[in-house]
Amino acid sequence: MKTFGAFAVLLALVASSASAQTASAVGDPRLSGAWEPMRGGPGAPPPTPPSPITLKAPYAAEWQARRAAQDEATKKGEPLATLGSECLPYGMPTMMAVANYPIEILQTPGQVTILTEVHSEVRRVFLDRPQLKAEDIPPGYYGRSIGKWEGNTLVIDSLGIDPKVAGYQSLPHSARLRITERISLASPDVLQDQITLDDPVVLEKPVTYTLAYRRLPKYEMVEFVCDNNREYTDDKGVVRMKVQEK
Amino acid sequence: MHSRRLSVSAGLLAVIASALPLGRPLLAHHSFAMFDSVNKATITGTVTRFEWTNPHVFIEMDVPAQNGETKHWSVELGSPSILQRSGWKFSDVKPGEKVTAIVNPLRDGRPGGMLYRLTLADGSMRGNGGPPPADPGGK
Repeated sequence: MKTFGAFAVLLALVASSASAQTASAVGDPRLSGAWEPMRGGPGAPPPTPPSPITLKAPYAAEWQARRAAQDEATKKGEPLATLGSECLPYGMPTMMAVANYPIEILQTPGQVTILTEVHSEVRRVFLDRPQLKAEDIPPGYYGRSIGKWEGNTLVIDSLGIDPKVAGYQSLPHSARLRITERISLASPDVLQDQITLDDPVVLEKPVTYTLAYRRLPKYEMVEFVCDNNREYTDDKGVVRMKVQEK
Repeated sequence: MHSRRLSVSAGLLAVIASALPLGRPLLAHHSFAMFDSVNKATITGTVTRFEWTNPHVFIEMDVPAQNGETKHWSVELGSPSILQRSGWKFSDVKPGEKVTAIVNPLRDGRPGGMLYRLTLADGSMRGNGGPPPADPGGK
């Protein structure tokens, strides 16, 4: 009987240690689910003004010229082509809030996966692993993302984002762009993602802005395969809509 | 009378615009700039095809012209995801159905536009990513 008691205590210890490990690996389960980007409106957290953007020369002049060209083209009704208009992925960090398309967060042991509805993009965030050096990561749309939990905040470090991927506010970026995200609940049904862009080649100092999302309970993410793109880019780089001739 | 109606509509539109981007869908895939954001066209005709596809849903329709001929129009909508969340179903529009579409026409003059509001054969209305907006008083 005494032996059985000792065995029961041991079993309980093993069980509690296993459950503690699971809790640590899963983090804050309330972050899981579908979330819709909020742009103000009832229940939105107070807007956090983005930090000022200061670029190093010659990037500042290039950025201003590009934005001026975009504004001019838009004014003329001849918007310039983008990765999005060609049905290519938005990539990081734009994919985190495109119009009001939901994102979905899934948590499994050792990994957080972020899926977007528009263009069905996928980010895999590997938990508690060392990050590689930027030069050891093949450039891509999402880079390599490493996550860790700080209390109930998921902190994600991303490196390896291809300079061809359009940046926040059409900002240019180098292969050394580092994106740090702090994802947490602002309230039970409001998620926030504080995003900091640090690029020692292009930016004078890091740029930080915050996105907010509304929980979409029981939402079923919708398929989005871009197989009927009737917007095309003409020889001047302008997006046009293909009109069906009878 | 006509000008009064226009001014009322303009006031109403201003109120709507300040509250929510109801008439103009939140476009992710491409800019709205290719469409005329001020003037609208109202077209009534027969649906030849309804494409519930990404990145955009399209209504293809034959519209009778005054000279007895038909003009073919391509009407662009938001994506299935955005439309579904605002109450649309993939089977809402059927080929052969007579519909009336108010659109923001293409600025380059070709017969195409972005849907503002659709009236189906049964009289029910659909918006383009939000509730059906008020009559813009367009031509």
